[in-house]
Amino acid sequence: MNRREILKLSAAGAALGFMPRVAFANTSQIDIYITGDSNIINFWNNVIKPAYDSANPGYSLNVVSARNNIAPIVDRVLAALGTDTDPLVDLFDENDPNLPAGAIEKGLWVDFTKEGLNNYDTINPVTLETDFGLPYRGTQVVLAFDTTRLDPADAPKTWDELTAWIKANPGQFIHNRPDTGGSGGNFVRRAIHEANGRDPSMFRIDNYVAGESDEMLAKGFELLKDIGPHMYGGGQYTGDNMQSIQLLAQSVVTMAPVWSDMALDAVNKGVLPDTIGFAQLTDLAFAGGFADMTVPTNAGDVEATMRLCDLVLSPEIQTRIVTDIGAFPAIGWEHLPPDLAAKYSEMQPKTIPTFPGGPWVSAISDGWFRTVAPHVAR
Amino acid sequence: MSHADNNKKMGRGTIGLLLVAPPVALVIGLILWPVALSVIDTLTVQTPEGPGLGLAHYIFFFTDGFSLRNLWLTIWVTAVCTVLLLGISLPIALYLRFSDGRYAGYVQTVALFPLFVPSILLAYALIRTLGPNGTVDTLLNAVGLPKIPSPYLTPWGPIIGLVWDNLPLTLLIVLAGLGNVSKASVEAARDVGAGRLQVLRHIILPRISGALMVAACFVILGLFSAFTLPWLLGPTVPEMMGPYMRRTIIDVDAPTQARTQAVVTFLICAVFAWFYVRSVARGRKEGAQ
Repeated sequence: MNRREILKLSAAGAALGFMPRVAFANTSQIDIYITGDSNIINFWNNVIKPAYDSANPGYSLNVVSARNNIAPIVDRVLAALGTDTDPLVDLFDENDPNLPAGAIEKGLWVDFTKEGLNNYDTINPVTLETDFGLPYRGTQVVLAFDTTRLDPADAPKTWDELTAWIKANPGQFIHNRPDTGGSGGNFVRRAIHEANGRDPSMFRIDNYVAGESDEMLAKGFELLKDIGPHMYGGGQYTGDNMQSIQLLAQSVVTMAPVWSDMALDAVNKGVLPDTIGFAQLTDLAFAGGFADMTVPTNAGDVEATMRLCDLVLSPEIQTRIVTDIGAFPAIGWEHLPPDLAAKYSEMQPKTIPTFPGGPWVSAISDGWFRTVAPHVAR
Repeated sequence: MSHADNNKKMGRGTIGLLLVAPPVALVIGLILWPVALSVIDTLTVQTPEGPGLGLAHYIFFFTDGFSLRNLWLTIWVTAVCTVLLLGISLPIALYLRFSDGRYAGYVQTVALFPLFVPSILLAYALIRTLGPNGTVDTLLNAVGLPKIPSPYLTPWGPIIGLVWDNLPLTLLIVLAGLGNVSKASVEAARDVGAGRLQVLRHIILPRISGALMVAACFVILGLFSAFTLPWLLGPTVPEMMGPYMRRTIIDVDAPTQARTQAVVTFLICAVFAWFYVRSVARGRKEGAQ
């Protein structure tokens, strides 16, 4: 193939991208903006879209990836608010309705409590944080361990048991750096919670004060410095979430904190053997969170979008959320098949502590790198 | 020379200038101008009377043990990698240049293969092979030998990865340099009784020193800003400048500090860029004579 042919082909490919709008001009298109990874995009395209399109003749979902770039799209929708312009966005799959500041007061987001969704009452109450966001999939950091080397009955249940286990089994625990993925990041945050009376409410998005907050963080870092030399390699930390899973798969370590959805996905795909067990700390769980769908009030067809929201919260789709992407369902387990609920009982979130972002992120990353990480006995 | 000829030359000159204008404008607008803004930003200090010029950001960098350890690790890894790369690619290049054997083609294919492997794939492959309980450990275990001390998460992890990744580029430059060495001159030296090492030292090396210099400069420039392999395979602390700069701007949210780190990195790289430009200019002059 010569260069001219390649150019022709790519021009044809680019033109193809514009075609659906022309071809289905008499079909109402529901535009969905996805923040998640390719697994989430695939889930919307391969599971939710066929279910919605077949149940709603004349409607078609248009799944758009907005990775790391959702803020300008939200701004566009806000700019269109109060005008006749269709923002061409009907739903964000994972979005904080508190951003940008004041959007809720301006009436940008649909209040789901007032929309009469059939499945709203089945939602697990611990997942609800706001009336303007509809949780539909969740993930939390859990401990994953090799059951051939640690009897599930002996798995640590509290922070003290966990640190005692790490010290008694040197080199058998690893987590990734807090800047490279939330599984290590939330392990570090759990230590900070531990050192500050296990009270997550002490850390809020708006109460970071340089100096005094850093002292609270430093107390957590002291706990980590104490166990660091007993971790893998005398205090080595992997470069991302997946590497910790890989070391667990290669039997290098016995235990690592992991994201529940990544670990379940790894088990489903055979990356992790099914001899991997999961445990959650019961004195205070590791942090996690739910993805909130948001719908702008100026969306082209709010009614059709509400039918979509109801579909996503249906037991059928929520079951697929567990089996296909390994995430937590947003509806209560009693609404899901009993065998599924039993299989994942250890990972069912009873509480989901959160840790704020904003200035806390930089303080934790910089503080951990400067005080905990160099504390390595090589 | 006729008047018409002169006009033609003028016309060609203008067209030439027009042709180079877009890339030059792009370089100025998209690279030099933002770089200048960044450098000014690192030299700006907020004082009670407003912004003023000052070296506070650089004083912080050069008095901060954490930053200096990172810079030192970067220099050390770069130096080790450069020596290894030249040491590995020179024998391969000599073999490819002077061998007529039928294996030369295969050797070249294998040596150039890393060009086509993205470094993120390489990183995960290295974890699987050289990592703890990896393929190498499994093979050693099978024949009753002890496991290797894994280079993963130590400075040797990125060194192995970066050497593998940069081998094709270095090899191609050294091979091009060896094109300057005629087989006749080597045979002539052999005829008067020169041994292999003497041929290498007195006939080959003087002819390819320029190429080795260019290869070293290229490799150093690439290694200094390496990101993926040091990030995935290297130690947490000290970290190389690539991951350190990324973390400073994204995670620590300190853009001015990150820019200061970038300017320091850039100035060190600029020294080697200057060596490179000088040796290219010299090569062109020699070529013109």
